[in-house]
Amino acid sequence: MDLTPRTSPDNAPLAPRKHNHKWKYVAMLVVVVSAGGFIVSQFLTSAIDFYCNVDEIGKREGCEPNRRLRVQGTVEQDSLKSDSGSTTFVLIFNNQTVDVRYNGDPGGIFQECIPVVAHGQLVGDTFEANRIEVKHSNTYSEANPDRLTQSKAEQCSLLAG
Amino acid sequence: MNHAGFIIATYGITFGVIIGLVVYTIKQGRNLSRTVDDKDKPWT
Amino acid sequence: MSSETQSFKGVGTPTTRMYGLMAVVALGWVFLGGLFFTPEDAVQGDAVRIMYVHVPTAWVAYLAFIVTGIASACWLIGKKHSMGFDRVAGASAEVGVLFMAMTLLSGSLWGRITWGTFWVWDPRLTTTAFLFVTYLGYLAVRGLGGTAEQRARRSSVIALLAVLEIPLVHFSVVLWRSLHQRATVLSPDGDIKMDGLMLFTLLFGVFGFTVLFAWLVSHRQRIMAMQDAQQITALDAAVTERLKEVQE
Repeated sequence: MDLTPRTSPDNAPLAPRKHNHKWKYVAMLVVVVSAGGFIVSQFLTSAIDFYCNVDEIGKREGCEPNRRLRVQGTVEQDSLKSDSGSTTFVLIFNNQTVDVRYNGDPGGIFQECIPVVAHGQLVGDTFEANRIEVKHSNTYSEANPDRLTQSKAEQCSLLAG
Repeated sequence: MNHAGFIIATYGITFGVIIGLVVYTIKQGRNLSRTVDDKDKPWT
Repeated sequence: MSSETQSFKGVGTPTTRMYGLMAVVALGWVFLGGLFFTPEDAVQGDAVRIMYVHVPTAWVAYLAFIVTGIASACWLIGKKHSMGFDRVAGASAEVGVLFMAMTLLSGSLWGRITWGTFWVWDPRLTTTAFLFVTYLGYLAVRGLGGTAEQRARRSSVIALLAVLEIPLVHFSVVLWRSLHQRATVLSPDGDIKMDGLMLFTLLFGVFGFTVLFAWLVSHRQRIMAMQDAQQITALDAAVTERLKEVQE
């Protein structure tokens, strides 16, 4: 509320209005509403159905094999190979498998037995991925050198959580 | 330490922002205290 | 300026100084323990160290928004419409927005190491980003001008609607398919899958960040009280000046 005196005692010109910070907040609101709209659109198009499981390819709505997919499964033990810049592995979920090829090194904590989400498209029987995201479980345990003596199956169950 | 850059950046930003906010809050509180009557500061 | 006293005292009290001391001790441990003394995780390696700040900042952001909601409800329901509730709501939202920003940032860095990407539009990240911009909007609405009561009324309604997003964010990893892992400490089955020193550091971090939150909100709502008092004093002075003009 501006209650600045309209004239100064000696009838000098009107006092300048104080800079109104309201417009700063109005601009902030506009940005916030736009950002909110963008996030909601991302939610509806992407987040609500983030991935298909391997066993749902071709069986569930939205998981048609002729479209771009995000497929989730576990990197099968002893299936990981790196050859001339590309990485191949088998993704398994509910005993259903799909071969995956990715150009490059997936990075992150990618390894065998870990759950991943592969982005790409089925070409023939192979899922050609151009992005791999690694899921990690909610289990946290101390890295232990003794674990080297554990069986591969035990290590696998730890990675899968 | 693997990925030291990411980890140190996380700690640096988090603790840096916290220290900055705490210092700003203390300074702002002291500056305002000088100009506001004690009757408007029931905690004093 | 009135002729009453303005003592050179900050906004601290013995209670807030105690909060401050507890926060310094706990956060000191989180910093040292999180970076140097806790073990590497079997799967994530050193990346797990980010968890000791990521989880507590997320917890404080949730807590802050819940406090904002409760204080707003108290303002709306209370017969006196005490402005103290509105100031607590505003101070808590400010702190919550800052901690939510830190959560998003630390989560993004953690995600780059473990998932292999800074950001994905998965349910947890998307709902968290939406929660963040909602409370940015809340703060913008608080700054839109008008009387303190108008500010309190419109912002309390928004706070009560916005707080409903928190369960959606927390349970997003259960309701939808998410890249983000499920809760470890607050897991529905009650089984905490975390080794000793890791869990201790995480819980001590949650405690430290919570007392820091209490310290920040106590101080910031007192600062807001002084700003409101300053505004009232300035308004009184302006009215007096205007009355003088009329009389002359």
